[in-house]
Amino acid sequence: MSTETLPLGSAPRSHPSLSRTFWVNARFAPRTSLGFMRLDFVLGTVFVLPFTQIVFFAYVAGLAGNPAISVAYVAVGNAVATMTYSSVFSVCQTTDMEKQQYTLEHLLVSPANRAALYLGRGLVPVLLSFLTVGVSLGYAVGIFGAAVAPGALLPVTISVLLTSVAMVGFGLLLGGVALYLRTSIILGNIFLFIGLLLSGANFPLSFLPVPLQWVGEALPLTWGIVAVRDSLSGTGWGPLLVAWAIVLGEGAASYALALGLWEVFERRAYRTGSLGRF
Amino acid sequence: MRGTPPPPGPRILGASFRLAAQTFVADPQWLIPSIVAPVIFALAAYEMYRGSGPVLVLYAILGAGMMSMWGQTLYGSGWAIGQDRFLGTLEPVLGAPARYLWVVAGRVLWNTLIGLAGGALVFLVIAATYHAPLPLRDPLLFVGLFAFVIATLATVGLLFSALFVLTRYGGFIQNIGEFAFYVATGCMFPVVLLPFWTTPLSLLFPPTWALDALRYVGVPGYRGLSWGLLPDLVGALVLSVAYAAAAALLFERVVRHVLAQGTADEY
Amino acid sequence: MSLPVILTRDLTRVYQSRKGFFFQDAVRTEALRGVNLEVSSGEVYGLLGPNGAGKTTLTKILATLLLPTSGTARVLGLDVSTESRAIRSRIGLVLGGERGLYNRVSGRENLRYFADLYGVPVARRARRIDEVLELVGMTSAADRRVEEYSRGMKQRIHLARGLLHEPELLFLDEPTIGLDPKSAREIRKLIRTLASQGVTIFLTTHYMFEAEELCHRISVLTRGRIVAEDTVDGLRRLVGGDRTIEVEGYGFDEKELSLLRALPGVSRIVEEDFGPRERLTLRVRTPETTEGDIRASLPLQRDLRIRERTTTLEDIYLDLVEEEAT
Repeated sequence: MSTETLPLGSAPRSHPSLSRTFWVNARFAPRTSLGFMRLDFVLGTVFVLPFTQIVFFAYVAGLAGNPAISVAYVAVGNAVATMTYSSVFSVCQTTDMEKQQYTLEHLLVSPANRAALYLGRGLVPVLLSFLTVGVSLGYAVGIFGAAVAPGALLPVTISVLLTSVAMVGFGLLLGGVALYLRTSIILGNIFLFIGLLLSGANFPLSFLPVPLQWVGEALPLTWGIVAVRDSLSGTGWGPLLVAWAIVLGEGAASYALALGLWEVFERRAYRTGSLGRF
Repeated sequence: MRGTPPPPGPRILGASFRLAAQTFVADPQWLIPSIVAPVIFALAAYEMYRGSGPVLVLYAILGAGMMSMWGQTLYGSGWAIGQDRFLGTLEPVLGAPARYLWVVAGRVLWNTLIGLAGGALVFLVIAATYHAPLPLRDPLLFVGLFAFVIATLATVGLLFSALFVLTRYGGFIQNIGEFAFYVATGCMFPVVLLPFWTTPLSLLFPPTWALDALRYVGVPGYRGLSWGLLPDLVGALVLSVAYAAAAALLFERVVRHVLAQGTADEY
Repeated sequence: MSLPVILTRDLTRVYQSRKGFFFQDAVRTEALRGVNLEVSSGEVYGLLGPNGAGKTTLTKILATLLLPTSGTARVLGLDVSTESRAIRSRIGLVLGGERGLYNRVSGRENLRYFADLYGVPVARRARRIDEVLELVGMTSAADRRVEEYSRGMKQRIHLARGLLHEPELLFLDEPTIGLDPKSAREIRKLIRTLASQGVTIFLTTHYMFEAEELCHRISVLTRGRIVAEDTVDGLRRLVGGDRTIEVEGYGFDEKELSLLRALPGVSRIVEEDFGPRERLTLRVRTPETTEGDIRASLPLQRDLRIRERTTTLEDIYLDLVEEEAT
């Protein structure tokens, strides 16, 4: 060891900047904790899974023969719902992966700003969700006969982008719970199922009992699906702006709640010693 | 000579079944995919079909039960192997003189029973929540066939579990293929609705045959695969045996491949 | 003469992996490069080597958890590639570490599961589990969940699992890592007891004193090759003597080093800087060379410190590893 090293404790110290924490997590997490480690799996999530999900529900809708649930209706609903895999499911399982790699404790003991750290992890999932829904809507329009009103491209793009951002916030929220629980993947699975039932992807919310309608309306996915359907049908800016505002509001609430919950569950995990359990 | 003779298969199966049960009990979160998810699936399907008459409602319930059983049997068994990788227990288990196929079979058996319970619960919840009349043609035979369907699923689970031994990405591949399996086996609609060129593919899966048989018994006036109930049963049985045999062969090869690659400790 | 318990010939192992996201390149790593070794029945055989030398790879191949790329390996007279199941019944493997146990059930339940997988007779199972728990000092904690265990407790359960079926050959991969000194001493005592009962032990460790204390023979593996194999005394002779003389001063020039090298019995000199001072470590084969001879060879050195000690296994190991590296 060189004798030129500084005495212990005299090294310059400062917390890493927010942007540095954000970008380093945006770059690093997809390879280490989000499970997007291989190109073929990314392509599977973007191209294969959405197609099979839409086909499944399209056949169910076809057999049901209910005029309120056309094939195009469920195709668009499921096209938007497929973002759940890239946003909620992958983001919420990051805690599991950190635990399994024994890196969670090291991550939390670092002085990095938590908000920048978690938000950075959300960047690639947002982009991937956007891409997934783009491809899925291509299937819905090209194969399952969903109609596209003139000038729909811009509002559809904005709707999908806003929903992707909001859903990643929701994923972070569920991921925070995994600090306390053994695993978050179960939560991710539940959300996948609930999304199919309560978001209006497969049938109008009005089919459900009123209390379940309230739950559905609290999900950003529900309003994302409304926004995309309105955009495609050219309903007009009024209802669209309402849907966007709700998506944004629910997204912002998800992020705020996620950061708060991470704080709470982090402290709780320190108390219960559940950080290393999986 | 010290050491012990290799244990017989049923003993390994029993040990594995017991450990699967203990792990399940130790982690109540598993009640969610086993109990909550099936009910949610059933409710979603019920809502979609309920305006279309009692026969389609039965379709919904059957399909939801089937999907939940699939989730529990295959996903649960595969998940256990993934968990073996995470915990680092795959290596010591492979290092034992026991055939790994028996270890997996013990887990599949446990998950099958839980899947069966989940499927039964779907019926109860729908019946209790909506007071929906279930127009079963022959309830007793239906229950027997229900168990048969899940047995065919278990053989698929056994075969697919090899994927989890082969690669740490087994769970991901399974997620990608999940809906494709639901479509191909026609769990929520008859496979005859699919394009005719997909039929041979659907017929490769034992649950396709078993489900068709189940509907012949359960759904009044059902017209599915044209050959009727008995050939359905024979087809499902033959294919299930073939799947189990293929799983036995495949596991030997997959385990050897993993040992050659040195990937048993990857997760 | 009985067959060796372990016999390898030209054993190699190559790992292939892939690197990159879009265009994946194959990466080839040679973990073992022509390993030849023989271990006799009842022997405690130590395998030393730096991190990444191939110790765990070799252990896993011998324990049938990894197939060799080429060459042969026979354990208890059986081929590791084709007769693995027969081998597994007769060997025990302790890989140790934090992983490798079912966290959500107790230590006893883990042992029961593996007792079944190893075919421990059902009538004997409970008693045997109690015995091994007693052996590793885990009786009182046996019914707690593994996730509540300390690292040392997990290590003990790993060891207990390896002993369940009374193997005739035991592979121990760093068995005392993570243990406190008292527990480590107990484990070493257990290893000695097992060896006295005729169990052959194949031990890898980073602790030189452990290897020196336990092993009849030791081999040093670096970069996938065995560079030395002998008893500790044999290895001392190999690296140039059982006397080690440390000479400390303020810098030595080439002329002084030459004079020291010319002294009778000096086989090797290792130079090491620490702060402003320099230490020369001399391996000396014969008893003739004295402290006076060394001082006479370094007349210009004012503040010399000379200390003599027995060459330790650590000295030998460092010499061998350094030699291989250069």
